[in-house]
Amino acid sequence: MDSDLEDFVFYGTPIEREEDSTSRKKKAIAESAGQLRTLPAWKQEVRDDEGRRRFHGAFTGGFSAGYYNTVGSKEGWAPQTFKSSRKSRAEFKEQSILNFLDEDEKADLEGQFLGTSSQFDTFGFTAAEIARNQAEKEQKQRPSVIPGPAPDELVIPATESIGVKLLLKMGWSRGRSIKDSHADSLYDARRQARRAFLAFSSNDTKVKVSESEPTQDDNENFPEQPVDDNVQSSKSTPVYVLNPKQDLYGLGFDPYKHAPEFREKKRSRLSSKTGSGHSKNFSTRDSLFGFKSGKAAPGFGIGALEELDAEDEDVYATGYEFEETYVQEEVEEPAKLTLENQKKKDQKDKDNLPGFRVASNSDYKMERFEAPRIPKDFVPRHAFSGPLEINRQNYEVPPSDVPPPEDSNLKLLIEGVANLVAKCGKLYEDLSREKNRSNPLFNFLSGGTGHDYYARKLWEAQQKSNDQTRVQLDGKMPPCVQKLTAESRGQILGEKPLQKTSEPSSSVSSTDIQLQYNLIDTFTKSASFSDLSEFEKPFKADPAKQERFEQFIKEKYKGGLRSGSSSLAGNMSEDARAQERLSFEAAAEAIEKRKQGRGSKLSIPSSTDFITGGVMEFTTGAVEPTKDQPDVDFKGKKMYPKREEFQWRPSPLLCKRFDLIDPYMGKPAPAPRIRSKIDSLIFTSDSVKGTKVEEHMIAMKDISPLQQSANKDINKSMAENETEEEVKVEVENVERPVDLYKAIFSDDSDDEGEDPYIKKVENQEKKAEVANTALSRLIAGDFLESLGKELGVEVPPDTPYPTQKSGKDATNANEYAKPDTSNGENNSVVSLKHDLSHDQHIAHEGGHSKGDISYGNKLEIHSIKTKGTSISDNKSSKSNGEKSEDDRKVKSPLVSNQGYISSSEDERSRKRTSKYNREKYEYRKTKTPSTDRLDYRSSSLSEDERSRKRSRHHRHRRRDTGSDSSSDDERDRHNSRSKGRRREKSSREKSSGSKKHSKHHKHRKHESPSRSSHYSMEKDDAHSRKEKRRRE
Amino acid sequence: MSAEDLPQKEVNVLKGHEGGVLAARFNADGNYCLSCGKDRTIRLWNPHRGIHIKTYKSHGREVRDVHVTSDNSKLCSCGGDRQIFYWDVATGRVIRKFRGHDGEVNGVKFNEYSSVIVSAGYDQSLRAWDCRSHSTEPIQIIDTFADSVMSVCLTKTEIIGGSVDGTVRTFDIRIGREISDSLGQPVNCISMSNDGNCVLAGCLDSTVRLLDRSTGELLQEYRGHTNKSYKLDCCLTNTDAHVAGGSEDGFVYFWDLVDASVVSKFRAHSSVVTSVSYHPKENCMLTSSVDGTIRVWKT
Repeated sequence: MDSDLEDFVFYGTPIEREEDSTSRKKKAIAESAGQLRTLPAWKQEVRDDEGRRRFHGAFTGGFSAGYYNTVGSKEGWAPQTFKSSRKSRAEFKEQSILNFLDEDEKADLEGQFLGTSSQFDTFGFTAAEIARNQAEKEQKQRPSVIPGPAPDELVIPATESIGVKLLLKMGWSRGRSIKDSHADSLYDARRQARRAFLAFSSNDTKVKVSESEPTQDDNENFPEQPVDDNVQSSKSTPVYVLNPKQDLYGLGFDPYKHAPEFREKKRSRLSSKTGSGHSKNFSTRDSLFGFKSGKAAPGFGIGALEELDAEDEDVYATGYEFEETYVQEEVEEPAKLTLENQKKKDQKDKDNLPGFRVASNSDYKMERFEAPRIPKDFVPRHAFSGPLEINRQNYEVPPSDVPPPEDSNLKLLIEGVANLVAKCGKLYEDLSREKNRSNPLFNFLSGGTGHDYYARKLWEAQQKSNDQTRVQLDGKMPPCVQKLTAESRGQILGEKPLQKTSEPSSSVSSTDIQLQYNLIDTFTKSASFSDLSEFEKPFKADPAKQERFEQFIKEKYKGGLRSGSSSLAGNMSEDARAQERLSFEAAAEAIEKRKQGRGSKLSIPSSTDFITGGVMEFTTGAVEPTKDQPDVDFKGKKMYPKREEFQWRPSPLLCKRFDLIDPYMGKPAPAPRIRSKIDSLIFTSDSVKGTKVEEHMIAMKDISPLQQSANKDINKSMAENETEEEVKVEVENVERPVDLYKAIFSDDSDDEGEDPYIKKVENQEKKAEVANTALSRLIAGDFLESLGKELGVEVPPDTPYPTQKSGKDATNANEYAKPDTSNGENNSVVSLKHDLSHDQHIAHEGGHSKGDISYGNKLEIHSIKTKGTSISDNKSSKSNGEKSEDDRKVKSPLVSNQGYISSSEDERSRKRTSKYNREKYEYRKTKTPSTDRLDYRSSSLSEDERSRKRSRHHRHRRRDTGSDSSSDDERDRHNSRSKGRRREKSSREKSSGSKKHSKHHKHRKHESPSRSSHYSMEKDDAHSRKEKRRRE
Repeated sequence: MSAEDLPQKEVNVLKGHEGGVLAARFNADGNYCLSCGKDRTIRLWNPHRGIHIKTYKSHGREVRDVHVTSDNSKLCSCGGDRQIFYWDVATGRVIRKFRGHDGEVNGVKFNEYSSVIVSAGYDQSLRAWDCRSHSTEPIQIIDTFADSVMSVCLTKTEIIGGSVDGTVRTFDIRIGREISDSLGQPVNCISMSNDGNCVLAGCLDSTVRLLDRSTGELLQEYRGHTNKSYKLDCCLTNTDAHVAGGSEDGFVYFWDLVDASVVSKFRAHSSVVTSVSYHPKENCMLTSSVDGTIRVWKT
């Protein structure tokens, strides 16, 4: 604009005015003088003497309103259309004259409004006005979080009107209504009418109810009148409680809406912070009112058109307002002074007139004392200078046995001190050493004479105390204890007590790493008893009884679920069983004692004496075994029902659909269910199955000795015929798959299952054969690999230790140490445990215990050396070497039988394992119509053929399940070993693929002796090894 | 409940099936019943009025078992065609077919939320099928059975299957355990007691056995009927006071739950009584038979 000024011509002399107005003036002059004339009409504007535009809109006249005499704006004419949506409602602005006034005009108007002075402001309008102005001003100064002008409801006049003042003077108090008789009468009339109506509409009883209800409000009831007034007033005249908004909640949001106690608490906390008695006082009043006003709020059930009056409220009121106010006051005190509170409350209850309340700040004050000052260097935890418990790890290797010193006094002293130290801990040792430093008698403590003996004694004492504690733990649980102690509960739940074993070799690692999913782990006996039965056979004379005893021992130390009825002793009479049980108990105790004695070698002779005596004693109990030979019927009946428990993994989706939490959540992937797939893949001849089942059923019925059938003989002969028949059919049916198996597995089985000794011998003649089969094996290997991939076979367990290999074999060996690996639970446990724990100690053990631990592998490797060139051996060696990785995949057949850690599928493992109750196993197998085809087939083959077949069959199954129990391995090995002896014959048979259908039906059981001899051999082996380890 | 209160009076005969009826089942509230049979159909009845309401045809072979959701909106059925059919009750259309069993399917059940069908098959497996997703693959295959699974029961957390291998296996989803109770005799039919604590197992040695589920104890054996070759049902009455079971000679037996005495027996059908189903609340029972009829019995 200033630049425009040069163009203009000025007339006259400008009159000097204030500095700020000069420019405007100039402009105005210019416009008025020159421009106005030059500009077109629509551009001319009316200005005042100071150059300001005077007329706006309509004032500029007619059409020239708007943008430069047009309508609309610079952008064009945009009519203000009506817009209203659900989200943005049309705005209705309330207009007042002030909206259309300029600031100066407003300033002019200021003070010219008529208003009541605050002195006569009866209705508080002026005060409200002032307050609003004030609020606006304040808002301008510091804009609040909430945008927009402060709502009027928030701005409340601060002064009291003269009317209020007058009323107050007249005795009216805040919160009361100004009640007139007219209202009451009106109310009465209405109530009467209602009552009449009710009486009309319903029967009498109801009327009575309704009559009794409003008595509170009756005018005649004067004592209650004030209460009513109080209640009524709460809404008749609004009582504004000046309650500054101090929180950060939204407007109108009351977090304590349904829990007013908390509000009080908070407030009291706040007020106690500020510490003023006034605020406390204030809060009580507030709460009182707040409570009251809240009373009217829940108005449901009251007609919308009906006035909210006293009667309506009473419908839902409890009618005991005073009590509630007490509660409020009580809560207001901080909660920690409960005692004080109690006292107060009592007082209140006693002598508080209605309408009065106890002074909030009484004279009585609790006396408080300062907390004692803590010295700066105080450490809140006391640490003993020495470890309280002697580190047991130190004594992993017990100190050597030393002859006691000649001085008997010294010996006594040493023993006493050792006992004390063992009992009281290392601290005692330290203390006594400190105290008796000068005393030459105590030299042994600090390495003087007799120190070795002391160390030995100390160790012994510790062992003793440990054993005692453990015995307390273990021995406390006789099978029929009624009382459920923490230990027993833990045992039932499968928790493992913290072991304090004297031989920390295996237990340490096993307790350290404990996965949850092998809970059954904990069902095994504590490690100290694991090897008990191998050297302890008090009932050697009577195998049946011995078996029962073992069962008993197992159950005793196993904890966990008892297998209900002892199936073994099912035929015994009640008292005979009880007697036997007693003898078993005693024997077990004796064994235990002997074990302790073993811990401290000094007491061995006596304890063995005891044992022998004990055995004598026990064998007297072996009178009844005459009854032991069970007649099949009885036993068969008693056996059922039989409960077994296995692990089972529900799929996550199933859990989800059942709305349950997956118990295996986060656990490694389950063993893939390949079985079914492979079954359908390989047993393509499934359709034949249907017709076979009945035959199977019958056949198996007479095979299993346990099963009782009424017409045994007929059945038997029938079954014989049928089985024969069926065997033929089966053979035809299954022939192909078996051949496939052969193509895939045959040589592997040879490689793997072969006892190396024999292998060596046979190597020469075998070479040609091997060379022939090598090619097919390679192909088979590839095939399997791809198969495995296709099926997504993965093996669950992680094998982090590179020493896995030796560990595996050792575990296999250890397997024999177990007294009974009959059921699947045990088996899987064992293998799992081995996987976790045994690796370590076996790894270091591998050093001194030579061939027998890792004989499987070492010898295998050895044999490889002798073999040299054959491809198969390369392969096997490779697989052996890379076992740690290969273990995880079921890729190659060689690896697959090296022992997978059995995972969840106990059922499978149960089926597979149990060399001890092979009977059962056979029985089971015969029961299944489809899976036992191989068995049936094998039963028709020659014995050695069959044993090999079985091993193969097992392997196949194992592959199927993707899990494995090492014991199975071992059996395979045995099988193949025994087979190996007869190999010259059998290999030929096999290679020619001949199927001899000789009937070996009955023969089945006869083969067991040879095998069992193997077992016993193995057992001895393992036993001796165990012994060795213990001695070390 | 005394023996007189047992449903022994024939109220209605539901005729319509051509050929034997293999199963008859009340729905959850007992107002309707479903039957299935050798004529490859499933039929919906009102047994109290004796009215045939609807027929569901789609199966290719005989239908062996049928179950309805608790909201009566869906059916599942199975049979000789190795498939499980998932039906819409109102329209009578098949919503989904689940294939996967390698043999005939002997039994089906919905779970509590009707989201899973569990089927028991001749292929020695229990399979769980998902009704929620569109997948026709089983969620889970339980193949620990050693022989044909004849019957399946579901609780909120467990799957219970009875098999010809003589076991009643309980699969607890919550703790991931399988509990196998071996009875030594082929198990034909299992049914839960109404309190859920016991399992009734009908065995092929003409014995019905009652097992305690928590301990696996054999509580009682019920004999007197013949059941040697057919798949016959047995069930407990609504009050758990009696055991009801069919027989191959056309009789229906009632045993006292506790002392195993035959409280009542009467000739219900001319031929094998394949199925008995007890009303969940009232004293009303359904029997179905190979003679092609379903009979409704009341007190």
